[in-house]
Amino acid sequence: MNEELNKVSESSPKIWALGGGKGGVGKSVVSTIMAFWLARMGNRTILVDVDLGGANLHTLLGIKSPARTLNDFITRKFESLEDICIETEEKNLRLISGASDVLSLANPHFSQKIKLITHLSRLDADYVVLDLGAGTSFNVLDFFLVAHKKIVVLTPEPTAIQNAYIFVRNAVYRKLSRLSSKNPSLQALIKIAMDPKNVLKIRTIKELIQMIEESDENDIVELLKKEIGGIRLSIITNMVRNDKDENAGRIVQIVAEKYLTISSSDMGSISYDKHVQSKVSDMVPIINLEQSSHAFGNVYEITNKLIRD
Amino acid sequence: MSDWIDKQHSVVNRIIDGSITIDSIEEFENLIKAFPNDARLHRVFADRLVKEKSLNAADEYKTSARLFIETGLPLQAVASKIFEWRIAKPSREDGLAFHEALRNCVPMDTQAQKFFTGLAYEEMVALLTKLVPYTCPANTMVKKFGDEERELCFVVSGALEKTFHHRPENEEILQKKSRTNLVEGDFFGEIYPLTDENLSPSDIESITHVELLKISKARLLSLCTEHSNLDLLIQTLYKSRRDSDEEEFSKTVRKTTRHQLPMQVNLMIFQSETGKSPLNLSGFTDDISLGGTCVVLGAKYQTGHLDNLTGKNVKMQMSLPIESMRLNILGNIVWSKEISVEGKKTSIIGIQFKEMSDIDRELLKGYCCGSEAEQNLIWSLWNSLMEK
Repeated sequence: MNEELNKVSESSPKIWALGGGKGGVGKSVVSTIMAFWLARMGNRTILVDVDLGGANLHTLLGIKSPARTLNDFITRKFESLEDICIETEEKNLRLISGASDVLSLANPHFSQKIKLITHLSRLDADYVVLDLGAGTSFNVLDFFLVAHKKIVVLTPEPTAIQNAYIFVRNAVYRKLSRLSSKNPSLQALIKIAMDPKNVLKIRTIKELIQMIEESDENDIVELLKKEIGGIRLSIITNMVRNDKDENAGRIVQIVAEKYLTISSSDMGSISYDKHVQSKVSDMVPIINLEQSSHAFGNVYEITNKLIRD
Repeated sequence: MSDWIDKQHSVVNRIIDGSITIDSIEEFENLIKAFPNDARLHRVFADRLVKEKSLNAADEYKTSARLFIETGLPLQAVASKIFEWRIAKPSREDGLAFHEALRNCVPMDTQAQKFFTGLAYEEMVALLTKLVPYTCPANTMVKKFGDEERELCFVVSGALEKTFHHRPENEEILQKKSRTNLVEGDFFGEIYPLTDENLSPSDIESITHVELLKISKARLLSLCTEHSNLDLLIQTLYKSRRDSDEEEFSKTVRKTTRHQLPMQVNLMIFQSETGKSPLNLSGFTDDISLGGTCVVLGAKYQTGHLDNLTGKNVKMQMSLPIESMRLNILGNIVWSKEISVEGKKTSIIGIQFKEMSDIDRELLKGYCCGSEAEQNLIWSLWNSLMEK
């Protein structure tokens, strides 16, 4: 699926996707603040709510009922994603709202997904920030995998760490599975390897590659190595309350490097900020928050790091 | 069904850790019928038969040894074989057959497991006759810092904690330096080189009930004198540990308990009698795989008649913690057992999945993915980096 993005010229926007498996870790809040800072830095930015089954990003921006949503694009009411972009209070920041009113969009057809991905890369913007839904469904993973920056958000809780890792693991295997789609025997092998208790005793991506090498599939091995090597994660730990909490991202980083052989950068952490939580609870636009808020400051630093990375 | 049984460990784990007590031989036999490929269950059953002075114990040890080999656990197979051969003296053919099975075993990735697959026949026989099984309950100090190192110990089952110490200059009180867990397939005892005299650099204390296979340094030295290849294998064993210790996190990578996040489930159990309305129960998953789950029922459902549930069809509804959608799965109850949770009696039931939609299967696959080693590394890192 990367082909769609590879065809795009250098002037196409940089796509950042924020995922992480677990709901409630603050992906939407972090996406919104990140998009806010990108816009405030002078970048034309579009925030896209890709939580196709439960879109609510518009509420964080103070938009009660978005006039146009992704559903209008998918159902061909509008031909271009540009047409469904909504201006926000912040200069340079626009929103593409998700389609919470159409349940069927939670699992779009493959062709709908391809269309959406292709059009995202044609948006007239410097940055497109995708706020992905919770979970590890193929749809979430596919949007994550096409992004230039693959950002994993988690909180310092065991469940969030575990789910973030499962999210990354599934993304890697999804990538492998798609790359081998024209090679049924290889795809079958990858499916076996996905089962952690597989009979072939393949425990890591490294072992899987070795097994493929032994089957004289040298051409595909090089491709797989290159593509897996190209998956680079940026990990953010949200709602941090003390120094130890900051290590949560490091855990996913270490396990992913050891078992999935993918590299990642721990981009830092965002302090727990009760002001952010109360704004979200009160459905007040979070970009109206005092910019002296700790969380805003942390996201500013992280956004700068991501731009430079 | 075998696929489910291969993956479904929590009932067996509960039997082994003692939280489920099996009251009779008949009940054990029924369990063996439900879980015919579980090596550890056969091993526990064999131990129980020994207590009953039943000669069938040898057959159960033999079966568990075969199954351990098949699952890549030669150390555990050796332990079972030692017990089997204590009851029924083996012929040379028996010995050769077991040796061939060991050599052909594809071991799990610990060096102690690999050590046993590298033994020549004579070395295997010599070693098996000298290895001594040893068990101890949880919270037993197996070795203290400063004790003379006199034996090599392989961890067959259970978990221990190894605490390294150091004594700051000019201070009498020892300070704890670092901790690591020893689990199935690990070994301890600083006895190599065999001619050196070492003192233990750590305390080693059992966290759970533990089974070890031990051999004294003196006996090992004697064996190595007769079998030079054995000396090389021991050397490799210790070298591999030094190498892996140099990796920053490898010494804390494993933990015995597989952590599974419990999920609330609603069960609709269909009665076989016509006209009877379905029984609606709820509980929490204790473990879950693509093939099935164990559900601990809420205490209010203790009816005393849950044996009758076995064999009944069930419709399960559950929400995965990482998904917003509810899963609907049809299955069959294959096992049930009364247990005690926080002092209250309730029941645990084993459900084999029969039907689910492709979408539900993908969601479940996503949730269950991740090997034990991956999960253990996450939890070990959590303990070492995050615990307050």
